[in-house]
Amino acid sequence: MHTIAEHMTADHKACDNEFVVAEEAALAGNWSEAETAFNAFNNDMTRHFRMEEEVLFPALVSAGGPSGPVHIMRMEHTQIKGLLEQMAAAVTQKNAQEYGGLSETLLMVMQQHNNKEEQILYPIADQILVKERETLFGRMQAA
Amino acid sequence: MKLASLSAEQAPPISVPLRFFIAAPVFLALVALLLAMVGGNPFAELHSPAQIAATHQVTLGFMAMVMLGAIQQLLPVVIGSPMPASRLVAWLTFLPLIAGTLSLSAGFMLGKPALLNLSWPLLGLAFLVFIAASLTSLARATAKNATKTALLLSILSLAGAVTLGMLLARGYAVGLPLPYARLAAAHISLALGGWVLLLIIGVSYQVVPMFQLTPNYPKWLTAGLAPAIIVTLLLNLVLLIPESAPYWARFIAEGIFWSLACCFAVVTLRLQSQRRRRVPDAPLSFFRLGMLSLLLAALFSLAALILPAASDQLRTLSALVFLLGFALSLIQGMLYKVVPFLVWFHLFRGGISTGIPNMKNIIPEPWMWRHLWLHGGTLLAALLAPWWNVAAWLIMLGLLLQGALLGYAVFTGIAVYRRTLKRIEQAAT
Repeated sequence: MHTIAEHMTADHKACDNEFVVAEEAALAGNWSEAETAFNAFNNDMTRHFRMEEEVLFPALVSAGGPSGPVHIMRMEHTQIKGLLEQMAAAVTQKNAQEYGGLSETLLMVMQQHNNKEEQILYPIADQILVKERETLFGRMQAA
Repeated sequence: MKLASLSAEQAPPISVPLRFFIAAPVFLALVALLLAMVGGNPFAELHSPAQIAATHQVTLGFMAMVMLGAIQQLLPVVIGSPMPASRLVAWLTFLPLIAGTLSLSAGFMLGKPALLNLSWPLLGLAFLVFIAASLTSLARATAKNATKTALLLSILSLAGAVTLGMLLARGYAVGLPLPYARLAAAHISLALGGWVLLLIIGVSYQVVPMFQLTPNYPKWLTAGLAPAIIVTLLLNLVLLIPESAPYWARFIAEGIFWSLACCFAVVTLRLQSQRRRRVPDAPLSFFRLGMLSLLLAALFSLAALILPAASDQLRTLSALVFLLGFALSLIQGMLYKVVPFLVWFHLFRGGISTGIPNMKNIIPEPWMWRHLWLHGGTLLAALLAPWWNVAAWLIMLGLLLQGALLGYAVFTGIAVYRRTLKRIEQAAT
């Protein structure tokens, strides 16, 4: 059975892969592919945030986990969502230069955010939520 | 890692790193002026006063200046533990580092003992404060990862290098009867092989997979490399204690050290060739040029062991390629990522996302590529430096232009920050 850390880290990696495909297509000016790839990336990021914000974080806090760091993670989600919105606009406008600058920025923010979750928050979740893990996975799938 | 490291306040104020980053390029330009003043070919003669002065403007004025500023920023990211009292530490390292570097290089250039005597306590203070603050940060980090070990060993090497450097400067100033050549060799080993190399290794373990989207470094490497390097360095230092150690022993000790350095470079280049993000990226190219230079520096040093007749020139080349090729490439590449990110990050902290320039609108990418070519050209000139006097002028010109370009880039970043902040504040009122 996977731990929460393994499960969520794999999800981060999957999003990274979609990020790469979308960026490459946008910078090459291949806009139909860029749009498809960006939408896939954007949807999976949104879904990942939903799994955390609606299932994992509330479970963590109600089991006595740290609420301060969870709050920071939510704030960083807002930052990332802001960048994703701007990237969506760049795709609509077919503006490769704008997209490239935004995706560069997103990469820096997203990787630092993921690193904090993977190194700190998920291991805490694995400790605190060990008994509820199965149900949490089920609820996150449905989120 | 402590939970506090997830706090939004973990990052020091933007003025802390930026003051180091804007001062550093000035020293690159100063090196160029210093080399121009000397005339002739300062790279033809090892350990000439001009070479010592120029080297320290690069290592202290540029490299240490950037690293001391960047580490405050990096520690929360790579080991999850910020430095204590960031503003105070910044002032107590920044000012004495500038004053100490200027007086040290002027002391060597002008042959003035009073300036040397002024320099070593100032530099000692700067590094003592930095070492104390970074060790505190490491002690507070509960994480036990390979980066933390490498950083710890790096900082301990720095402490050794600084102690020996202070002793040497004091020795030159008052004419103490010291074994100068052997002390200088130990000082250089600890400074470059310990502090610089281990710092870059430790940070790379995290930064390369994270931002360049490569696979992780292999476990055998992260577990063994930094301790193996420090053991080899210590072995090299022990061999410096007797007046003359057997040649074969030095051959083996130095050979192992450079093989370990090669191992890091080869693995890093391999990981980078497997990166998932394939779009052109100037800072990544700087990084790869740095790794190729590390391999080249190792080759020159190994060749110096095998060809004693050409040993002096080969060692000069190795040192030049290590400093200008390896360290400078990595540091400049890192600045081109860090400065735009910091500007964006600190502007975004206000919570407003519209109207904040993205990273590529803060420092335009074409500048970075131009700088990379300029840097590559300077390196090619460095490869000819021991033999061709014109190369010294080319290096000088290259460093002057690089200092100007980098300084302008950092300055532009600061200007964009100020301008945007003002606009946000005006919009808020």
